[in-house]
Amino acid sequence: MRSSGLLLSLPALLFLALFFALPTLLFLARSFGEPQWGFGNYATLLGNATYAKVLANTFLLAGIVTVLSIAIGYPVAWALTLMRQRTRKLVLAILLLSMWTNLLARTYAWLVLLQRSGVVNTLLMQLGVISEPLPLVNNLTGVVIGMTYIMLPFAVLPLQATLATIDPVLLQAGSVCGARPFTVFRRLLLPMSLPGIATAAVMIFVMSLGYYITPSLLGGTGTMMVAELIAEQIQSFLNWGLGSAAALVLLTAALLLYLGFAATVERRAVITE
Amino acid sequence: MLLSPTGMGWGRSALALWTALVSAVLLLPILFVVALSFDGSRWLAFPPPTWTVRWYSQVLADPEWLAAAGHSLAIATMVMVASVLLGVPAAFAIVRGHRSGRAAIRGFLMMPMVMPVIVIGVALYAVFLRLHLTGGYLGFVLAHLVLALPFTILSVANALAGFDRAIERAAVICGASPVVAVLRVTLPSIAPGILAGALFAFLTSWDEVVVSIFMANADLQTLPVRVWAALRLDLSPAVAAVATLLLAVSLAILAGLAFIGRRRA
Repeated sequence: MRSSGLLLSLPALLFLALFFALPTLLFLARSFGEPQWGFGNYATLLGNATYAKVLANTFLLAGIVTVLSIAIGYPVAWALTLMRQRTRKLVLAILLLSMWTNLLARTYAWLVLLQRSGVVNTLLMQLGVISEPLPLVNNLTGVVIGMTYIMLPFAVLPLQATLATIDPVLLQAGSVCGARPFTVFRRLLLPMSLPGIATAAVMIFVMSLGYYITPSLLGGTGTMMVAELIAEQIQSFLNWGLGSAAALVLLTAALLLYLGFAATVERRAVITE
Repeated sequence: MLLSPTGMGWGRSALALWTALVSAVLLLPILFVVALSFDGSRWLAFPPPTWTVRWYSQVLADPEWLAAAGHSLAIATMVMVASVLLGVPAAFAIVRGHRSGRAAIRGFLMMPMVMPVIVIGVALYAVFLRLHLTGGYLGFVLAHLVLALPFTILSVANALAGFDRAIERAAVICGASPVVAVLRVTLPSIAPGILAGALFAFLTSWDEVVVSIFMANADLQTLPVRVWAALRLDLSPAVAAVATLLLAVSLAILAGLAFIGRRRA
């Protein structure tokens, strides 16, 4: 069995080499070869104001979604560690359900909920919070709402895993020594949960960078993201070089974040051990 | 006392209230789509002034929606079968293979999970255009398989890692050949993990939009591709009916996964 390890994985390895790795490499190589050899596509991508704005938009969106998801998800993750088992199981089931139910169906729901005559605007107007319907969709607001909604479970689950490993006795010690609840949170809980926050943040940021469906349905003309740029360049303009350059920028950013994150975590581990 | 169940006072209530609110927001859009699909008004009024099944009868009478649903089911089924055939041996390799190669193989096999789907979509589109594989079942199945395979491998590998190998060795000592022992002892024991992996593969294919957009043509579209195209035109309640049907299949599969999980636990 031991030596046959490679042999058994051969069909899967061969399949992914042929239908995943090779096509990806061939596609990315086109950024240097089309329409001519060199770095022309990268010069266009970064030099053209429209494309540069798409890149900036994407990173801005990913940043906002990351911060919001963690800010909204942290209290939920914390509450999960305090709950009785039954309640915790129920909330975890809701999180998994939302993670695995059809993305298009959920995006469609937000499209209808957020429109001018949608439920959210109607409700806010009936409550007297606003007098005119707010433009909540076909703009950055719509994309932020839809993306944060999708990313929330990806924030709560890793945060909960980290918070669950923190020994409550440490926090108890803090308050016995006279720290008030907020101080215990700020000086003990928050620093101890930093690795979880970092994991969740990197994951959400990287995933948000590459999302296509939700931004293109909930966004407007001024909010194009990198994934849409890639699809548009290739489907509408048959501009493979530029589309591939945008893809390589996206992948490089993701890879650097992963590596930077891995290095940070390693350094922390060395310090704490 | 922040992490203990007592003595947190109003802070604990605030956390519970926030969690209830967030859970409600996570659930509501899903319920909302279902409600919309029975909306009697054409203009997506909520709450619906009257209830109707008109949108369902409209969708079910439309040969194009039906054809798309048929394609989706057929493709997802083929992806499920192929994913198990490739995934089960690969899971054996990464759980039991030689230590040095194991991590590298595992890393490579999991790569499609971290790659942005749009990049996989256009990369395959480029190759499949040349090979004339777009607009056919084969193209869809191969593309969906790239995305589904890691989930199947993970699921089977987890089941295999939790399986006590001594049982398999006992079968060998009793005279079974190693292959027979795996086929008659190990595989039946990890069957729930294999079934879960198969369901994950089916669900991945069933819900896939991005790669499918690039694999589809006018003659061959899956249900999500048609929903995507329809959504860019208008928000008709008929789309809500299709979205509800998509959700129903996802929910049935999730229920199946939960059932398997409970029986394993």
